[in-house]
Amino acid sequence: MIDVMIIVNGETRCASVAPETTLLALLRDHFGLTGTKIGCDVGDCGACTVIVDDQPVDACLMLAAQADGRRVLTIEGVASKDKLHPLQKAFEESGALQCGFCGPGIILSAKALLDQNPAPTRHEIRDALAGNLCRCTGYAKIVDAVSEVARVYRSEQSRG
Amino acid sequence: MQCRKWRAYTVVSNPVAEGKPVVERERLAIEEALRGLDESAPLPAAVPSTRLPVEPLVPVPGQQIRAVGQRAVRPDSRNHGLGQTRYIADFTLPGMLHAKIKRAGVASARIKRIDTSAAEAMPGVISVVVGCEVPVNSFGPTFQDQPVLADQLVRHAGDGVAGVAAVTEQIAAEALEKIIVDYEPLPAVFDPLEAMREDAPKVHPPKSNIYHSMVVRRGDVEKGFAQSDHIVQGRFTSQMVEHVSIEPHAAIADWDANGRLTVWATIGRLTLARADLARTLQLPMNHIRLIGTIVGGNFGGKNEISQEPALALLSKKAGRPVKGILTRGEEFIASTARHPFIMDYKTGVTKDGRILARTARLVLDGGAYCSWSETTLSKSCILAAGPYKIDNVRSEAIAVYTNKTMTGAMRGFGAPQTCFAYESHMDDIATALGIDPLEFRLRNAFEEGSQTPTGQVLHSVAVKQTLLKAAERFGWEIQS
Repeated sequence: MIDVMIIVNGETRCASVAPETTLLALLRDHFGLTGTKIGCDVGDCGACTVIVDDQPVDACLMLAAQADGRRVLTIEGVASKDKLHPLQKAFEESGALQCGFCGPGIILSAKALLDQNPAPTRHEIRDALAGNLCRCTGYAKIVDAVSEVARVYRSEQSRG
Repeated sequence: MQCRKWRAYTVVSNPVAEGKPVVERERLAIEEALRGLDESAPLPAAVPSTRLPVEPLVPVPGQQIRAVGQRAVRPDSRNHGLGQTRYIADFTLPGMLHAKIKRAGVASARIKRIDTSAAEAMPGVISVVVGCEVPVNSFGPTFQDQPVLADQLVRHAGDGVAGVAAVTEQIAAEALEKIIVDYEPLPAVFDPLEAMREDAPKVHPPKSNIYHSMVVRRGDVEKGFAQSDHIVQGRFTSQMVEHVSIEPHAAIADWDANGRLTVWATIGRLTLARADLARTLQLPMNHIRLIGTIVGGNFGGKNEISQEPALALLSKKAGRPVKGILTRGEEFIASTARHPFIMDYKTGVTKDGRILARTARLVLDGGAYCSWSETTLSKSCILAAGPYKIDNVRSEAIAVYTNKTMTGAMRGFGAPQTCFAYESHMDDIATALGIDPLEFRLRNAFEEGSQTPTGQVLHSVAVKQTLLKAAERFGWEIQS
């Protein structure tokens, strides 16, 4: 067994896991954070996207041990205690969440993009979400929602 | 703090509520408050206690709140975005086991022997089930031609042959490797046209591979072809498509000590699924509680039971709840897919581009089991001629068994396949006649009062307006 300590959503958590345990299994089975979804378990669909030290990562492709000592943000840590993240609000209002299964992963991919580039073009948004599949085929509304948040960020910046 | 905010919302004057009875005003105030929910509301959005009237509110005509033209937000989308929605994979019950199904891996074979002893002896394996233990080993929404677990014949590589429940998914997967199945390979057929031949290997011997067919006739196609100036023919084929809902098929079965079965499943058709469970397990319907959970994408792929009876039997044997989730690979080989079609079209037209007669012959590759083929076949056959005024039509559809993954419901039930064919065919005819493809469609499209090949008289027909509007939007100019 391997002892792993990670900072999940700002909270330090420890677990003793088998070496083959993925970050995804650690989050879901050991920490009960089931907002991170299992779509394919082989890195194709992006439903398990989490942010590890500012980078979006497929949690099914990273071993728990590789995340040792790093900061991990899951969907459960995106909203604050009393406020939705602008992306969650925009996704809700744009109808970008249908069955909702791809939603957490897409919101985290979009967040990782906006954290690094608050003014992305539509093309850059599509590029950043290329690793996330939505089979309800709601891509247009998803890109709309991210664009809307980016627009608000831009106008806030220009008001500075 | 929370309550003060809510009171602030409820006193906002609401023009719709003016002059309404008190009860109605209160209801509208609450609705307004809910509509006004935004980031200033605490999370999770819990509705504080209100003095709602105890008697039910009966809608009064003309006094209901406006709905048409209002923006509606999906009521479940907040939980989706917060990652709080619980799909089956997110549920855990005390003592729950994890199940895996062993897939045949061969397209056509007779099962000579299944030896599960090594798997059963593995530490962590609690129960194992094979096909001959299923009380009635057949199900299906149209014909009951599909086994829960194959016990005699394997008809496609994705057929399940045994199920294992173990304390972890990993142990269950390892146990599958220890199950020995002796197969006697049988000839297989993969091409539907080949499968229609008399001498083709039978998928469900001794029955013919053609398991369903339908013909729609209107007018006299031979006469129509005889009067035509040109006859254009074409063959169009479509491929097998998997739904690939991002959430795989998942279910939990819990057979309790009173002989009551509770199943949580990602199934869209619960009533049908409960009847299939009752039939396969030979349980009275009132002993089965089937709970449809939030589904992470269906698209027609979750319209019937699949692993659920096997999970129920594993749970019965183990005395513990059993969860089963298909892997992405299993989704492709063991769940239903969209029917590949082979579509032969023949159309007779006059020089000035009027369609006089059309025949369509559709061969549906049904795969190993019927599933929703009957519905798919009917819909495609009825719609095969397209939205065009044609006096002489003959469309024929045939569903054929092959040793491939079974095909069933998928968005449109066969309509998209024929649409692809007849619209491609329309382009071919327009090219052959030297008429603009849009103009050719406008000359033949359905109008108010047109009759379909099945005799249905159509109203509110807007095919031409739609085509013209679309052409305007993407800048198509009719070339004369």
